[in-house]
Amino acid sequence: MTTSVSLYVAGDTGFHRLHPITKLTITLTLLLGGLVIPSAWASYALFVGFILPLSIWGGIWKQLIRAVWKIVLPFGISIFLIQGLFWGEGTTLFSIGPFTVEKEAIIFAFGSVGRIMLVIGSFLLLALATRPDSLMNALTNLGLPGAITYIVVTTIQIAPRFQSKARTIIDAQQSRGLITEGNLIIRGKALVPLILPLVLGSIVDVEERAIAIEARAFNSPGPKTSLVTINDTRLQKLFRWTLFLLMLLLIGFRIWWSLT
Amino acid sequence: MVVVDVNELTYTYPASAKPVLSNVSLKVTQGEFLAIIGNNGAGKSTLCYAMAGFIPHFFRGSMHGSVHVAGKDTHVTSLYDIVQQVGLAFQNPFNQISGAKFTVYEEIAFGLENTGVPRPQMMERVEKVMALTSITELADRSPYSLSGGQQQRVALASILVMEPKVLVLDEPTSQLDPVGSREVFQVIKEMSQRGMTVVMVEHKVEWIAQFADRVIALHDGQILLEGKPADVLASPLLEEKGFGLSRYTQVARQAVNRDLWPADRPLPVTLQEAVEGFSRVSG
Repeated sequence: MTTSVSLYVAGDTGFHRLHPITKLTITLTLLLGGLVIPSAWASYALFVGFILPLSIWGGIWKQLIRAVWKIVLPFGISIFLIQGLFWGEGTTLFSIGPFTVEKEAIIFAFGSVGRIMLVIGSFLLLALATRPDSLMNALTNLGLPGAITYIVVTTIQIAPRFQSKARTIIDAQQSRGLITEGNLIIRGKALVPLILPLVLGSIVDVEERAIAIEARAFNSPGPKTSLVTINDTRLQKLFRWTLFLLMLLLIGFRIWWSLT
Repeated sequence: MVVVDVNELTYTYPASAKPVLSNVSLKVTQGEFLAIIGNNGAGKSTLCYAMAGFIPHFFRGSMHGSVHVAGKDTHVTSLYDIVQQVGLAFQNPFNQISGAKFTVYEEIAFGLENTGVPRPQMMERVEKVMALTSITELADRSPYSLSGGQQQRVALASILVMEPKVLVLDEPTSQLDPVGSREVFQVIKEMSQRGMTVVMVEHKVEWIAQFADRVIALHDGQILLEGKPADVLASPLLEEKGFGLSRYTQVARQAVNRDLWPADRPLPVTLQEAVEGFSRVSG
């Protein structure tokens, strides 16, 4: 049984050790770059030029490529088919029976696939090499409310428990003769005795959990400390500010581009 | 010194007509180990919540009477201030895992982070309490990957690490095997001998007899009996009201009917007492 739904792959590479906010800034800069630079090639260039090398540095390139491939392939096929066959007018590349495939359609589909690759790739770069709790801690230190941090981190951990609890309820109800397989109506009927105990049970759990964290001074008004320290360096701070400036430049460039 | 002072406490939950606790008064002195026994619905957990300040601060409903903990009236003290004095651990260990931490070590440190304990002291205290509750080897595991018994120890450690003046425990050994229960009782006894005041709801009569200083039997929201474990736990009144007796008491009761138990001796609760009584008859 998995203990959390986090994508994090444990490792001790230089990339892993980067401050979570540094990694977050890299991700955001890459995303912005891909969306702002008006070329279908930009996303591919960023993917090959930055995401791949960084993932190799972090030893997470296998997981990254596998996940990107799984998501991009079905999407890519459908987008090429739909855009290729139903684009409308443009420079005809070739025809298959009644369908014509235009050059503009292929370029558009190519660009879309590139953007999706970039979005997923840069997100995974962050998620695969960053512990969710240290990212959230770092964000709390920047001023994000502690309650939000708590909700995000517990959701990551409790989702698998919720699944296994649902499984237990299904088993229990089936052993008492509940039929859960068959047509839509049978399945619909079976849902009530499954959902009800799950939801009611969870409400009770939430109450107890609230008491438990309250008993450990979660709502303490005073200053808090942190067991896990996050290493930060001058160089990284400088690097983050540089990326931040770069993002501003990219946004400025985009505005200038659309005005002229 | 009286650390916990419950005075004529009556409490009714919001959606209920009948009070769960009626006119309960009790005092616990510093370093005392008080055990509370009672059947389901007797009001044991409610009493725990009241002593830890969750009544009236977390549960609504109507509360009459007063509860003072470490000299503070829980009515007018904020829950945050109360939890610094009173540690509460309850039965279901799974729901006591904060969910915010990925290792047992960090889980135990959670309360200390919240109260702003500096990192070096935090680590020292966490390591000390892990050794005390014999969970040092679990430090790097995910709290969710543990067994019920291990989680229960983690839950206890997470409260002990905050070094409360009063420890309120609601069936803290429910998931533990006999060896584990004994260890937990020993840890708690040790804490009480060091001056921590302990109030513990528990069903394991033989352990109570061995470790607790005083026992209160709660029945239908009222105190039925109160006194030394040996006096309370072998009382015929308990059996009458449907309480479970220890197996040694049950055996001795049979023995009395057959003149196999010395008439001048009270019924035994522990193995030790049973052995002493029976050896006098046979010897």
